[in-house]
Amino acid sequence: MEHHWKQAKGAFAAALAPPGLWLALFFLLPLGAMWLYSFGENAGLTEIALSGTFANYARALEPLYLGIFFKSLAVAALVTGLCLLIGFPVALAITFAPDRWKPWLLLLIMLPFWTNLLIRTYALIAVLRTEGYLNFTLEWLWNAGSWVTSTLGLGALPPFEPLALLHTTFAVVFGLVYVHLPFMVLPLYSALDRMDRSLLEASLDLGAGHLRTIFQVVVPLAGAGVVSGVILTLIPALGAYLTPDLLGGPDSQMIANVIERQFKRANDWPFGAALSFLLMYLTFIAIALQSLAGRRTAGSRR
Amino acid sequence: MSALPSLRIAKAAGGAPKAAPPGPLEYLRRWPLQVWLLGVTVFLYAPLLTLMAFSFNDSRRNIVWNGFTLKYYEKALGNESLIEALGNSLTIAFVATLISVVLGALAAVALWRFRFPGKLAAEGAMTLPIVAPEICMGVAMLVFFARVLPWPSGLAWPFNLGAIIIAHVSFCFPFVAVVVRARLATFNRELEEAAKDLGASEWRTFVDVLIPHMRPALIAGALLAFTLSLDDFVITFFTSGPDTVTFPVKVYSMVRFSVTPEVNAASTLLIVVTVALTAIALRLQRLEKTIA
Amino acid sequence: MTQADDKTVMDILRGLKRGASRRSLLQGLGATGVAIGFGGALAGCGPAQPPPGGGEAPTLNFYNWDTYIGETTLADFKAATGVDVNMTLFANNDELFAKFKAGNQGYDVIVPSNEYVTRMAEAGLLLKLDQAKIPNKANLLPEFQDATFDPGRAYSMPYTWLVLGIGYRKSKMVGGAVPDSWRYLFDSRQYAGKIALLSESADLIRLGAKYKGKSVNGLTPDDIKVVEEMLLKQKSAIKAFHDDNGQDLLVSREVDIVLEYNGDMAQVISEEGGEDIGFVVPKEGSLLNSDCLCIPAGAPRPDNAHKFINYILDGEVGAKISQTIQYPTPNRAARDRMPESYKNNPVIFPPPEVLAKCEYGTFEGAEKSQMYEEAMTRIRAA
Repeated sequence: MEHHWKQAKGAFAAALAPPGLWLALFFLLPLGAMWLYSFGENAGLTEIALSGTFANYARALEPLYLGIFFKSLAVAALVTGLCLLIGFPVALAITFAPDRWKPWLLLLIMLPFWTNLLIRTYALIAVLRTEGYLNFTLEWLWNAGSWVTSTLGLGALPPFEPLALLHTTFAVVFGLVYVHLPFMVLPLYSALDRMDRSLLEASLDLGAGHLRTIFQVVVPLAGAGVVSGVILTLIPALGAYLTPDLLGGPDSQMIANVIERQFKRANDWPFGAALSFLLMYLTFIAIALQSLAGRRTAGSRR
Repeated sequence: MSALPSLRIAKAAGGAPKAAPPGPLEYLRRWPLQVWLLGVTVFLYAPLLTLMAFSFNDSRRNIVWNGFTLKYYEKALGNESLIEALGNSLTIAFVATLISVVLGALAAVALWRFRFPGKLAAEGAMTLPIVAPEICMGVAMLVFFARVLPWPSGLAWPFNLGAIIIAHVSFCFPFVAVVVRARLATFNRELEEAAKDLGASEWRTFVDVLIPHMRPALIAGALLAFTLSLDDFVITFFTSGPDTVTFPVKVYSMVRFSVTPEVNAASTLLIVVTVALTAIALRLQRLEKTIA
Repeated sequence: MTQADDKTVMDILRGLKRGASRRSLLQGLGATGVAIGFGGALAGCGPAQPPPGGGEAPTLNFYNWDTYIGETTLADFKAATGVDVNMTLFANNDELFAKFKAGNQGYDVIVPSNEYVTRMAEAGLLLKLDQAKIPNKANLLPEFQDATFDPGRAYSMPYTWLVLGIGYRKSKMVGGAVPDSWRYLFDSRQYAGKIALLSESADLIRLGAKYKGKSVNGLTPDDIKVVEEMLLKQKSAIKAFHDDNGQDLLVSREVDIVLEYNGDMAQVISEEGGEDIGFVVPKEGSLLNSDCLCIPAGAPRPDNAHKFINYILDGEVGAKISQTIQYPTPNRAARDRMPESYKNNPVIFPPPEVLAKCEYGTFEGAEKSQMYEEAMTRIRAA
């Protein structure tokens, strides 16, 4: 039941004009300059000649870079899946909490994210490293277990080998989930908040267990929230570079790290721009496919 | 035939509220969710607490615990440039959040309510800031403010932060728009029609019907925008100059020689300040509610 | 209507009464935040106004690495000349270059490394130094009076110099031996899983070439390929590619052997628990670096900038700086004033026979840098 814009021209202009103009001037214009650069090449050390060449895109489509793209996508998808799994119950808990607790619970979730990303990552390093807290705790538990087995006469356990958690892809996924969790929780909470509770009560009355209610009633109702949560998590995770840089090992390089090096070390802005735009095109295609699929299933349900 | 009234009667007759078993929807009072929430809280806060604990560490390199000291807090509070950077970051975050919430809400309403030619393109354009890699945006902003629209230098504070604020708003407000849009999807259009039928103008409908419904999304969006702005490094790095250093930029440059407890102390101070501000805001809101 | 609708209508009616309370809350938050921010920013006052009679404002914007200045140097400079120095920090050369590529945002003195001096000079981003305004140049050691990367010292004055080498944990070395060859990092599995290398592509590839017996400059694509293959083979033994915090990885026992700068290692060795840490420049030779003071083109106060550079090259001032940062100094007058523990420290000043095999890396054009970069991307993607 959308209105045609001509039905309320004044309201339409008032709503669309400020964000539209801002976007056009302060975002599309600078980005447009980058888009032009992606068709250019370096002319000397600081100037870029806009020669309309496709060489940068051709280079970006080489197997080396495509491989990195898809690996980054896989990692980002894993991170998003984990965030959804972990974040959905949290959003559920906040939604059904008593009203006076809600802002405090939201604050609880948001607060870690007002700490500087770099410092948080260094804190994670302190937790994950070979002599970090996780290994410390595990060692303590291991020694306690060893004490138990030796008291039981089974002999002591072999000496504790600390887990090498840092500088691995595991650490990168851990760190990315840690950073992106609120981007999943907030949209989910926002959509779940004024969900019609009577539907849930009805479902429970009709005999469905809690889990079934959640999966078959709550999740579909929160659909829009899930989609926006996924978008707000997957895409920044795809473009993350600080976390993989600090927590990753020799083979945890993600596409954003490569792009960053083009803009800085390699001083190859056109190629960096081409890689960035390729990333954006691929993401758009994924979003478009997803919304098409969503529309088709919505149609078939009706 | 509805069983609802019977449930309610059962609850009402359930005796003292403290001893009543959790109602069917009071998920928070059931142990699985409580355990989950606790687990997530520990996951989120453990590194943070170690960060705060180590701000009292008497060791320059801050890798092993070496003794308790407050000297790094003294150093942090006495470090003029660090405090200035903190101040800049908070200011930028507040102003950028305000503008982002307004722009994001307007954009969400426009896209939700109206059909217009080029709507698909507009929706695509709105998601661009979320999709674009930060480094690309950072360099784009650098070129923009250097060649296309030079921001006058030498302005008095806070106007010299203008370039950074503009850049932050540009990538923050689409996030707000996405969150608000998800919320608008659950809006019952009949209410809007009812308000119009009762004689409300467009503006009144917007303010008194739409905005209250959007409120949770506006809060969520504001929190999101505030976080994004406060923590942004890449884009800020390229748009900041010698007089406009922000906290992440300052910290990043200090990290070459490892994270001294001074940086931990400054972060702890930032957390304390933001918590205090939000607590004040929440108290104010509760005061309003009791007065209304 | 259902119960839920009743509730919603009640909410709306209540909302109509309350009016725009949400907006006022946000405004209140904003005002409080701005007030706090204002208080904080007052600590750093606004730009100084130029004196009425013309000339430059008594202020200076200095863009430097972190902890790369003496404890009192800036305050002393202000006392001596009345010029207030505003020091901001950057973390690596690439950022410096990327930022200045589109123009100078108001900085007066910057500290690029040798290769970037060449790059920036070639790109026209540096101001030619007025040698007459820097008489303290005479304080420099003879080998620093001129530089291969900046003929005639037209654009730069040396601030520190550094050499890359191997940092290691003595107690973890097999047989207590000193790992004095690049082999242990690039070509041997003896310390597999406990090795950290610098992530900087140009430095890494050139050191690999040095190990293979070539010079660091003038590498051909074939040479680069040879090094790339060696590193690909070694990759499974490498724990991490660090971004100049290798000394922290060593101290926290994440790794036992690391590629690092001598200045960073000297600092770590002089601290708590440093007796177990060692540093050596491998016998095949290594890369030399030099961080230099330069004036970017378009600097608003070049006169003050020259005064500042001249001040830093003073012997007494240089000694105080070296006292704090413990990096090798190119300044003879400063070095003479330092204690023996500094002058004879083999980590800070490696023995001359080893230094003889070390070279400065020259900037060989953007294409070469891109070749190094792509080799690195391939190594990391494998």
